[in-house]
Amino acid sequence: MRRHSFIAFSIVVIAVSTTLAKKEPAIPTTASAPKEVALVRVNVTGQGYDYFRPWQKKAPFSKRALGAVLPKGRVLVTADLVTNQNYVELERAETGEKTAANVRVIDYEANLALLEPAEKSFLDGIAPLEITSDTVVGDRLAAWQLEPTGALLATEGLVTTIQMMPYPVDIGQFLTYRVSIPMQYRENSYTVPLVKNNKLAGLLLRYDSRSQLLDAIPAPVITHFLKDADGQNYRGFPSAGFSFFPTRDPALREYAGDKGKRGVYITNVEAGTPANKAGLKVGDIVTAVGSHDIDENGNYVDPLYGKIEFTNLLTAHAYSGDVIPFHLQRDGKPMQLNLTLEHREAKDYVSPPYSLDQPPKYYVLGGLIFQELSRQYLKEWGPNWQREAPQRLVYMDHFQSELFPERNRRVVILSQVLPANSTIGYDDLAYLTVSKVNGKEIKSLDDLAEAVKQPVEGFIKIETEEDPKQIELDASQVTAEAPSLQENYGISSLQRLQ
Amino acid sequence: MKRISIIGYATLLLASVVYAQESTPAPPPAEPPGALEHSGMSRSNPPSQAVVPVPVPITPPKPNGPVQKSLVRITATAVDPDYKAPWNAGALQRGVGAGFVISGNRIMTNAHVVANSRYITVERDGDPNKYPAQVLFIANDCDLALITVPAKDFFKNMLPLKLGGIPTLESTVSAYGYPIGGERMSVTTGIVSRIDFQLYTHSSVDQHLAIQISAQINPGNSGGPVMQDGKVVGVAFQGYSGDVAQGVAYMIPTPVINRFLKDISNGQYDEYPDLAITYAKLQNPAQRKYLGLKDDDRGVLVGSVVTAGPSDGILKSGDVLLSIDGHPIASDANVEMDGERSQFEEVVERKFKGDSVKVDILRDKQPMTVTIKLFKPWPYSIQGHSYDVRPRYVLYGGLLFQPLNLDMLEAYRTSDLRLRHYFEYFILDQIYVDHPDVIVLSNILPDPINSYLTPYRGGIVDEVNGKKIRTLAELSEAFAQAPERLVIRMIGDGPPLVLDRNKVEAARERIKTRYNVLKEQNLEDKPASRIAAAEDQR
Repeated sequence: MRRHSFIAFSIVVIAVSTTLAKKEPAIPTTASAPKEVALVRVNVTGQGYDYFRPWQKKAPFSKRALGAVLPKGRVLVTADLVTNQNYVELERAETGEKTAANVRVIDYEANLALLEPAEKSFLDGIAPLEITSDTVVGDRLAAWQLEPTGALLATEGLVTTIQMMPYPVDIGQFLTYRVSIPMQYRENSYTVPLVKNNKLAGLLLRYDSRSQLLDAIPAPVITHFLKDADGQNYRGFPSAGFSFFPTRDPALREYAGDKGKRGVYITNVEAGTPANKAGLKVGDIVTAVGSHDIDENGNYVDPLYGKIEFTNLLTAHAYSGDVIPFHLQRDGKPMQLNLTLEHREAKDYVSPPYSLDQPPKYYVLGGLIFQELSRQYLKEWGPNWQREAPQRLVYMDHFQSELFPERNRRVVILSQVLPANSTIGYDDLAYLTVSKVNGKEIKSLDDLAEAVKQPVEGFIKIETEEDPKQIELDASQVTAEAPSLQENYGISSLQRLQ
Repeated sequence: MKRISIIGYATLLLASVVYAQESTPAPPPAEPPGALEHSGMSRSNPPSQAVVPVPVPITPPKPNGPVQKSLVRITATAVDPDYKAPWNAGALQRGVGAGFVISGNRIMTNAHVVANSRYITVERDGDPNKYPAQVLFIANDCDLALITVPAKDFFKNMLPLKLGGIPTLESTVSAYGYPIGGERMSVTTGIVSRIDFQLYTHSSVDQHLAIQISAQINPGNSGGPVMQDGKVVGVAFQGYSGDVAQGVAYMIPTPVINRFLKDISNGQYDEYPDLAITYAKLQNPAQRKYLGLKDDDRGVLVGSVVTAGPSDGILKSGDVLLSIDGHPIASDANVEMDGERSQFEEVVERKFKGDSVKVDILRDKQPMTVTIKLFKPWPYSIQGHSYDVRPRYVLYGGLLFQPLNLDMLEAYRTSDLRLRHYFEYFILDQIYVDHPDVIVLSNILPDPINSYLTPYRGGIVDEVNGKKIRTLAELSEAFAQAPERLVIRMIGDGPPLVLDRNKVEAARERIKTRYNVLKEQNLEDKPASRIAAAEDQR
């Protein structure tokens, strides 16, 4: 049963056409090719957080990449590149001149970030890239890379598919260009701009060298990001909070009371989300969003791309706060609901899907290490985390909306045990979910930190969902042993709760 | 009691490959006369030509006597059920193992040598005949079986072996059997390396006492006796393959064998009872103090009590088990029995269905004594392999519904997160209470009536037309009494699966014919081969 995205984006059609209309006349500048390529090198040094030893950071990494120079002195890169950065540096392609840069806006879900050089004049003399949103299947796009000399290396490829695909943090799906292209390896091919007629059409998302297929973040998503970034506060891509299923099966359609041959069946509406607030229900058949009809596969006809999944209908051009009319059939009767879209932040999930650029919370209690379940933690098991991480935790993360419909909580886990005097006999415990501490229910690490302060008759009692069900510590021994524990295991601080 | 459901530790030692020399219908090895003789039988025949060297027949190590007079070679043809097409008989397998004669004209071997068997033959040293044999008792939970040969006089010249005790560590033992590398009996020796609880991989859910020996044992050794001082001290049954660990072989020790023999003395095998609890060692001083325990290294802490087990309502999570049938339980869960330290489960291990066990506990710091009447809790069975049963299933509208169990999971090699979770936590999360059968839509035989239903594959049935479905029989009943429209809800938030009964009825014959489905359902767990065996006997 394919789970479709919770996120639905919205489009206001007028917005599309105006954007296009505005950008089109920019073509005339073709005659004078820019003097210097609108690319800079971006050098990033960073350190990820170590979720297995949450008090410390991992060894530093460095990445060399490219950035696309945009108007108003900004440089566009992928969020991937500057995630967990300590220092970002821009380097002029030809002169090698360098300056520090700040990350002004970052959107992990859309995998985009905007950099600004510390020295305002640093980008002077570079003609910024404009953005073109009219790419369609069959167009040729050039991937721009730089030779060591600073000369442009352009490789052409063909856009083969435009469809909704998951992005790295895997929240919903976003519009993606798939390009068949024989990319060449260069030292700094991390963020590679894709260009059409000297205008920015997309940004490299991932590349598979065996199949020579490249996925790109398309211009409409970039445009959305930039427009949002121009505002006071960056709001992020909106979400609706429902999942759906195609109605290809006539029996299902008939059961749902659908007369026509279109629409998607709503399978889940999460509490507190825009869909829930607007009154959308499981079993509804959504037949149109805005003025676009949705077919039985969940596609609508896009003026540019033809048939594409309706979540894109909403993609690049609806913003948090927009009100989108949903037309639906409920028990065979037509209805209309207006959804006010909101961005759903990572912290609004029970098991946050990502947590970047912020240190993980933890609490060390006499050698027992407590953490909150998050996908970021599970991803510490590497690219195959879904198979290799503790399966019970993967299950809880994956089915969190089903297991914790109330949503307003975290899952606190006893993630590991550092051998110490107070934890003798507990050494093998790991990945247990904590239900109570000293008789108090635990729904976050803060709850736990609070509860351990009130030992019962000198003991701290921890209850877990899994065996052994209960663990007791001597409160005074825990306190007494803390300094040596910190010293032995190099734990700078015994807790981080923010 | 603490059973684990990790699959495949040690490998069984059944030679399940039919070796080349077996498949060629060539006459029994026609060596030059006198070249290779069956040991012990042919001393009276002097070599026709006095040529040296005379190959030395395998003479048994003296201490154990003429073991070849007790040893048999068992060839079993088995039909392993096909969980992906459960209406089919299944695949034919042929395996070779060993067995040995014990009192009462019985031959002891491993359950895995004869499980799922349809036809068994037995050969013995110095006798060209193959004797058809029958299974008397099979204990899949401890990998032992008893078979017999109906042919008159078969046992006349055979010497029944006697059972010994638990050999001491480092003492020498000899393993007899028919492992790969030749046709005739083989002997290897080694020492007793370790005595411990092990997972018995035949069921892959049961743990019993097992003895690790350093004797080389290989596929084909299965069921053969391991001897010391002329007595059987174990039955060779499993080991690690060479790429995992070298020279690690296990035998079933005599306490397990004796228990099996006693269990069947009433004419049927009742299987191992189990306390059906989980427990934790009590080695943490603070925890011991909290629980009100003395500083005496005693006691284990009860974690979960399975409601379908005998301890339900008697033991509680948080109880401390102090002693069992008078044996003090150490804080590392060991007891002292017959001068040996072993896990306290060993006390329960030696009991039978209906027996009781007396447990001294500490509950809320108060000492108590409770008595638990033992039986085998059923939910564990789905986490182990089944033998000699036909898979249960219901086929409706081309949709194949099967209860979740280890065999089915392995057949489909599913990586489905929900299915794996329901399997692993079937007992600990008490899933069996609401879903005694976790019914999975495991496969779809394509037909126009189910063309849009592929996305539902792998789903677990929760209800049909608003009624909760707990067992496969209830599902079958719901289908039988279906109104015109059937709405099947799966666990989780997928869409309902909707079927039109009339269309399903119209498609029945079509689907049966197209996919050669002989029977649309099998609700009974019951026998496959036993029927045939019973008919044989008549």
